[in-house]
Amino acid sequence: MRDADLTTKDVARLRATTDLMEREWAPCRYACPVHADVRGYLEAIAEGRWREAIDIIRERLPLASVCGRICHHPCEVNCRRTDVDQPVAIREVKRFVAELQRAGGSTVHKAAVQDKARVAIVGAGPSGLSAAMELAKRGYRPTVFEKFPVAGGIPATAIPKYRLPREVLQIDVDWILAHGVGLRTGVEIGKDKSIDDLRQEGFAAVILATGLSTSRLLPMPGADHPRVLPALRFLTDVAFDRKVDIGQDVLVIGGGNVAVDAARSALRLGAARVRMMFLESLDEMPAYKWEQNEALEEGITFTPRRGPAEVLVTGGRIVGVKARAVTRVFDENKRFDPRYNDADVITMDCDTVILAIGQAADLDFLKGSSLKADGRGRVPYSPASQQTSLPWVFACGEIVTPPGSVVEACASGRRVAQAVDLFLSGREIGLDDTLPPHIDKITACVAEKVLKVPREPVTAEPPQVRKRSFMAIDRNMAAEAAAWEARRCMSCGAGAEVLVDKCAACLTCLRVCPFEIPKVTDVARIDSALCQACGICIAECPANAIIARGWNAGGLPARAEAALAALPGGRKTLAYIGGYRAAPAEWRADADAVPGVAEVYLPSISRLSVTDLLVPFEKGADRVLVVACAAGKDRYPQATSRVRRRVEQARQLLAEIGLESGRLQWLEVADQDRRAVRAAVAAAAEKGVAS
Amino acid sequence: MIVAERKPLDQILEIIAPYKRVLLLGCGGCVTVCLTGGEKQAHELAVQLRLAAQQKALDLTVEVDSITRQCDREFIQNLKADPGSYEAVLSLACGVGVGFMSELYPSVPFLPALNTTFYGANTAPGVWAEYCHGCGDCVLAWTGGICPMARCSKSLINGSCGGTNKGKCEVSKDMDCGWLLIYNRLKSMGRLEELARIRQPRDWRKDRASGVRRLTHQELVKLEEESGA
Repeated sequence: MRDADLTTKDVARLRATTDLMEREWAPCRYACPVHADVRGYLEAIAEGRWREAIDIIRERLPLASVCGRICHHPCEVNCRRTDVDQPVAIREVKRFVAELQRAGGSTVHKAAVQDKARVAIVGAGPSGLSAAMELAKRGYRPTVFEKFPVAGGIPATAIPKYRLPREVLQIDVDWILAHGVGLRTGVEIGKDKSIDDLRQEGFAAVILATGLSTSRLLPMPGADHPRVLPALRFLTDVAFDRKVDIGQDVLVIGGGNVAVDAARSALRLGAARVRMMFLESLDEMPAYKWEQNEALEEGITFTPRRGPAEVLVTGGRIVGVKARAVTRVFDENKRFDPRYNDADVITMDCDTVILAIGQAADLDFLKGSSLKADGRGRVPYSPASQQTSLPWVFACGEIVTPPGSVVEACASGRRVAQAVDLFLSGREIGLDDTLPPHIDKITACVAEKVLKVPREPVTAEPPQVRKRSFMAIDRNMAAEAAAWEARRCMSCGAGAEVLVDKCAACLTCLRVCPFEIPKVTDVARIDSALCQACGICIAECPANAIIARGWNAGGLPARAEAALAALPGGRKTLAYIGGYRAAPAEWRADADAVPGVAEVYLPSISRLSVTDLLVPFEKGADRVLVVACAAGKDRYPQATSRVRRRVEQARQLLAEIGLESGRLQWLEVADQDRRAVRAAVAAAAEKGVAS
Repeated sequence: MIVAERKPLDQILEIIAPYKRVLLLGCGGCVTVCLTGGEKQAHELAVQLRLAAQQKALDLTVEVDSITRQCDREFIQNLKADPGSYEAVLSLACGVGVGFMSELYPSVPFLPALNTTFYGANTAPGVWAEYCHGCGDCVLAWTGGICPMARCSKSLINGSCGGTNKGKCEVSKDMDCGWLLIYNRLKSMGRLEELARIRQPRDWRKDRASGVRRLTHQELVKLEEESGA
């Protein structure tokens, strides 16, 4: 899409780069239900700024660790890198940083004063915990009531541990509770106390976040056999390590994610054969593709387009399920309305049946309260305000939204907290759900110029090993791998933007852009959907008419000055280092510094302007080194050759002043390891021989 | 457009030698397009001057500002710095900008950082060449679009002189004879008959012979007078 023109005045108003980034979102952020600043945290991870990264994630996503494991990652699905090679492994990178330093690794933003009204939240699942935390941050005093002995909801009580180890969930729960969220486990609303009792106890508002906690059953002959297990009850028994007799030959009915969880759990409990049977075709199978693939790898088989008609019981034992062929699943209006061919019936042998055909709400929490279910057995609910029919009772999560994933529940919880805040401040509940526009897809001619970088593989246990245990099936990325993967982010939307009032239409940007993106019509126009954020045009524009949305393009001299000031006295050298291939430890300045040398790391040297090269001399540098990747090794094509020319230009300016050109040096070693970089930097700082 | 090139640094240092507080003022017009006097070049020159001052232990403060054009009074309202608060302003505009700003700020010395060289076109990325002299009496209609005022060393208007030598001008072996260029162009256009006509002597009053030249659009002048009245 075409953005509104930007002027110098606008930039003064939107001085913080985050505001500039709000003009247009990258599709990863737009598609994320909580709209986490994906580009922002990937950049922080790419540069080894772990704490900053996790703080950016948690700003929007309280269940960061959980989502690092099990999110359905719409960010990745919408990643524009897909059109270049493969999407960035956003979830795995998030998982690395979220679990790196446990709950202590991220900042707790506690309200200065937490003295506002008390709010009761029923259900400590993702939506309830998110709502509670958001309210605590806003100064309310939330208490979460949970019928299970642990907080977490479905992630704690049903998601198999091989997908989500419980200590990972605990990182999020601990961090959320640290915000001043009260938790009372083992309290069942509707049984131990009613919603009205909560009101009596002084809670000014109640949020229902009970989710879908029971499995739907299927009325058919034999379905009441004790070895016909509702999937959620089965998964909860497994989650709490209760003894479950799973038998040898398990048939899971259903093709969704819960069905896959049930099937893979049955396998891990020792079943010899596990099969899944569902109404849909393989293409229509609702479970996520990666879940399907992992199940297949473990030896589970799929029987598509079959619907159960009867559980066959002989001598008190299940011997099989009679299954009809499916002729259609959905009607013309895409509504669920299956039809069968009764002439095509087979028997699926099995000794245990697990029913995973969908979840339903358990409305027992309504007992003894003045809130009543509607005629269709649902909680009456207004999506606009998230209120039920009682103005002080709100609802969020799957009890009122379509079934979804954890991140969607978090979004619902965050929204209900805003509604409750407005309600309790006596204001009208007007929730603004409008979003900035998102940038379009990259074009093929730009995509082909982007450096191809294969996606970092995740190390997984082999199927024959993992299918016998509830241990996590794959391993976290190492720091280097996570940073390298994060550097695959194309910084969508963080690139160049023209200040139309300053542009002289000189055509320089058009001539220097390695991706051939700028067009000059009345003034220069740089399509944000295509810009790769290399900064080459920004460094070259004679009018200083191009800014970067994602970074402060004029900020390098100040960084260089600060780095020089931090050095002890004596001869000082400033090294600008293209950090594309540097280890995160180097970015974090944990690396072994060369005495007398201040290192300033950049995503690419392409951003260095001639002024950036000269200013350090003014600020006390005796020498300035530009440490570049060898040609073709930088993140951006042509970065090395272009900046080399800028170095030559700056040397001429130095020569005019009578400063020898050897004081500004060019080293092409940034794509080598730290030892090589350090040796080259040390030698150049020492000798000052012209290169 | 107007093309200019930066003065040698030594010359600039000499020009600003009497002053301790100097504003560098970029111009966002022609000199930005020819990459000599834009905001970026102003910043580069500022660093150079500060470094030179450090080298020579001079007491010199330089700051930078830039406006859209230094040849229109309206744009001075966009100045972030006040020229009056500096001992001098080193302008990176063409001579027009330096002169006009000097008039607007009579108490502030406006000094040139550039040498204004010619009216030119961008013949290739990074290359500008002279195409016009601003003579005030354009003859391009019958010279095949090649200006004899700009391209002929003598600015002749009736053909080449005896100094033409194998396509080059007697002034320099590197300089094309402007009239041979014109001849070849007209020949390729099939319009050589243009050269058969003898052109009358030029009216040199339209060049610089009768003092400062002006362009006046009466309707705008009147409008301004009425709104002022």
